[in-house]
Order: sequence, then C-alpha cells, then structure tokens
Amino acid sequence: MDTKSTSLSRLFSARPVLRRTFFRVAGATAASSALVLAGCDKEDETPEVTPEQAFTLGTGDTGLLNYVYLLEQLEAAFYDKVVATPPADMPSTELAYFTDIRDHEVIHREFFKFALGTSAIGTAVFNFSSFTLTTRAGVLAAAQTLEDLGVAAYNGAGKLFTDPVYLGIAGKIASVEARHAALVRDLVQPNSFATADVVVNDGSALDGLDAAKTPAQVIAVVNTFLNITISAASLPA
Amino acid sequence: MNILKLLADLAEVDPTLYDRLSSRRAAFAPLSQLGRKAALAALPLALGTAIMPAQARDIRTILDSLNLALILEYLESEFYARALGLVAGAPSVPAGFFPAGTRPAIETIYRHEQQHVRFMERVIQASGGTLPTKPRFDFTGSKNGAQPAVFADVFTNFDTFLQVAQTLEDAGVRAYKGQVGFLQTDNSLLEAALRIHSVEARHASHIRSMRRARGANVKNWVSASDTSIAVPGKTDAVYASEDLVNQFMAGLRQVPFDQAPLNTVVAVAKVAEAFDEPIPASTATSLVSIFTY
Repeated sequence: MDTKSTSLSRLFSARPVLRRTFFRVAGATAASSALVLAGCDKEDETPEVTPEQAFTLGTGDTGLLNYVYLLEQLEAAFYDKVVATPPADMPSTELAYFTDIRDHEVIHREFFKFALGTSAIGTAVFNFSSFTLTTRAGVLAAAQTLEDLGVAAYNGAGKLFTDPVYLGIAGKIASVEARHAALVRDLVQPNSFATADVVVNDGSALDGLDAAKTPAQVIAVVNTFLNITISAASLPA
Repeated sequence: MNILKLLADLAEVDPTLYDRLSSRRAAFAPLSQLGRKAALAALPLALGTAIMPAQARDIRTILDSLNLALILEYLESEFYARALGLVAGAPSVPAGFFPAGTRPAIETIYRHEQQHVRFMERVIQASGGTLPTKPRFDFTGSKNGAQPAVFADVFTNFDTFLQVAQTLEDAGVRAYKGQVGFLQTDNSLLEAALRIHSVEARHASHIRSMRRARGANVKNWVSASDTSIAVPGKTDAVYASEDLVNQFMAGLRQVPFDQAPLNTVVAVAKVAEAFDEPIPASTATSLVSIFTY
C-alpha cells in the first residue's frame, strides 16, 4: 500500500485545525464516525505525518463507498446551494428539476452514509468559488460538470467493488446520474445529451461507450472543491 | 492480494495452471484491442477460469449476458433505423413524421445503438462465441399481422414512436443493470457494459424530454408521477417494481429510508426516483418478444 496512507489517530492528532475545518461535526455519533476517515491495514507501516500528507478514504469496498459518499456529498451540497439561492434568471421549471436532482443526491448520500456506519468519513465542506452560481448559465455549466463526473465515476468504480450488492447499487445510481446529466446537458445546449465529449465517437473500438474515470482522476477534480487534499492512493485500482 | 504469491501457491497445487493461464490469455488476445489497461483488466477472468477445473467452467453465463445485450441492441438499432428510413424494404415513415428539430437526436441515438451492436458482435466473436440470429422485428407488436397490433401507429404517429422509444430505452437500462452482476468476473466487459448502460440512460432521459416538450407528463427519471405509458399485459414489466423504497446494503440489510431518522433527512417520496431497478434476463427477453415474430 502507498505509504501516504496514514494512521488516522496520528493524522488527526497532527492536524486538529484541518480536522475541524473539514468535518462539521454534528453530534457525538457523527464525531466518532468522523474520526474513522480511513481504515489502516495491519501491514501498513506507520508513516511520518507531514503537512503534505493527504487524507485517505480507506481500502477495499469501504474505501470505495467512502469515495462515492464523498462524491454524493459534493453533488448534494452543490444542489442544496443552488436550490437555496437560485440564480435570478433561472425559470421555475428548471428550479423544479434541480429540486428533484437535489433530493436524489441527498438520498444517494444518505444511502452510503448509512451503509458505511462507523466507517463513514465525516461531512466535507466544499468551496464552489470556481463556479458562477449567480447566473443560470453558470449553474447549468457547473451541474453539467458534476453530473458527467458522477457518471464517469460510477462507470469506473463498478468493477472495483468486491461485493456484488455494491456493484448493483452503483448501477442503480449510475443510470439516474446519467438521466440527470442528459437533462442538464440538453438545458445547456439542445441535443447535447450524449455528444462526443462524453460518449466516445472517434471510430475506435470504444465507440458508443460513455466516459469512465478512475477514482484517482475523479478525486483530483473533487479536490479542487476542497480546502484539503484527499488521496485516492488507498483505493482499489 | 499478492497475485504472484497466489499464482506460485496455486501452481504448486496444480502444475498445469501456467499453461492453462497462458492459453486463456491467448484466447482473450482480441480484447487487447480495447487497450492495454482493459487487457490487464481482463486478466482476473483469465485467472479465474484457469484456476477452475475445465468441467466446472461456465462461460455460458457471460456469453448469455452478451447475447442478450446484442439482441437488445439489434432491437433498438432496427427501431430507429426504420424510423429514419434506413431499412431496405421496410415501409418509410410519412413525410413530416419528424417534427422540426427532432431528427438529429434520433440520428445520434441510432448511431450509438449501431455502435453498441458492433461492440457486442466484436466481443462475442473475439471470445469465441457465435452470434445470435438477428430476430425479425415488428414494432407494431402484431407479430407480422398474426395478432392485433399494440402500437399500430408507431411509425406514423410521432408521439407513439416516442412512447415506444422510451419503453425500449428504459427497458434497456434495466436489462443492462440486470446483467452487470454476471460480468463481475471480467472487469473489461463489466466496465464496457456499465459504459453502455449509462448511454442508454442518457437516451431514455432525452426521449423523456422530447415527450415532455410535446406535452406529456413525464420526468427524465422513472417517477410515480409519470403518466403511465405501459400497456397492461404487454409492456407493464418495463416499469414494474420501479417504485421500490427498499434498498439494500451488504449482507442484504435494508437501508430504512422510510423510518426515522432517515425519513427526516431524505424526501421519501423521491427514493424510488433516485434508484433505477434491474430486470432479469427472462423479463428482458419477454419484452423483446413483443416486438419480434
């Protein structure tokens, strides 16, 4: 395993400030679960804690569940913000779509939180300042980015799960994310629901296949919305 | 897992392992066209089948899944090809069948279905399988006039066409979802199936947008609030059991969305929308049979 994987007790004792900024601890139960940011295999050497070290999500299916839990936290937080303070030029029909999508993402988030139990990472605080959320166009562009990312993430994660139940869940959620993505894309640009920037169409053997991204690729994007750095190194690949 | 140590241990128990492994790898060489990473990802299957004694191997499960996927893609591809007037000998749709601005999306969807057909054909043949016979299709559901039509105006009424399109796309999403579990031993095929599955979901969403733009009461995701387009006794299986609030985690333990505290955090009425459900191969096959003769 990558030596960046960090014993949690050490990581938290060394970074109390980050812990408080990353985890909005709601109560005693949440507090104790927040401490379990990642499991640590017995074989792991205990690394030195340095400021450059990244947070990890755990290993195996637990790590993957934390990975998609983080992704759903990101999506739910984004749509919560949009629905709470929608741009003035967004019509009510579109706000209704976004309310549905927000509710779906919250449901996905809560599914993984429940399934993870005490292994769940804490609640992340996201920074959406790279988006323009004061205009309809800005919100739609941001939503397209996040939905396409979600689809590609599930498409890439499915094969990494060991438990077939979680492969099944990934499939059940992936298609709903793809439905979201197609709707949002069509709002951005009519008939862009499956254009070549997401569905391969280059004359190769992969023509007609949607995008798939590895956890490392997805986490790299998720990190741009965080004030800390998450490492995908402990996840199956 | 230490793969090399595992292999060494297994080779001690079974000296023929390496031979069988290398022959399995050779058999899957065509998959290397998918790229180095995909070829590496195919290794676990080669490993798994090599470890199992020959008589215990069951590649029928994967081939069955691929054959079902191909039949579904034949169905969808032919459906759009007929609407677009691309099937020699088939009656053409009336002039003005496609309202202004609607044809490009159908052409895009058709192109994807064609690509999925080619993908499945290639994978099945590369794996040593025999392609299933392409069925004869009758999208009115009359089995070439042998019984009353279910969708008599499918190629003359654009709204009926879109209803059948939505039916096929939503069913396709569920059918792929029902098969991915059988592909779990083959990472490259599993990933490909998921990547096709989400394209079908994009199609379904777009078709639903097209229907809504024409006044239909339908969301982009399967919702209890959609006005039903299921034909009782025919296509109702496409939407049966899509209203589940029961979702399960590992060990088949239920996630209690409709109980406290979860029901105070989530919109329970939208739980069913948030998860698309699989259908088994038998259901998918009987749905296909509505449109074949």
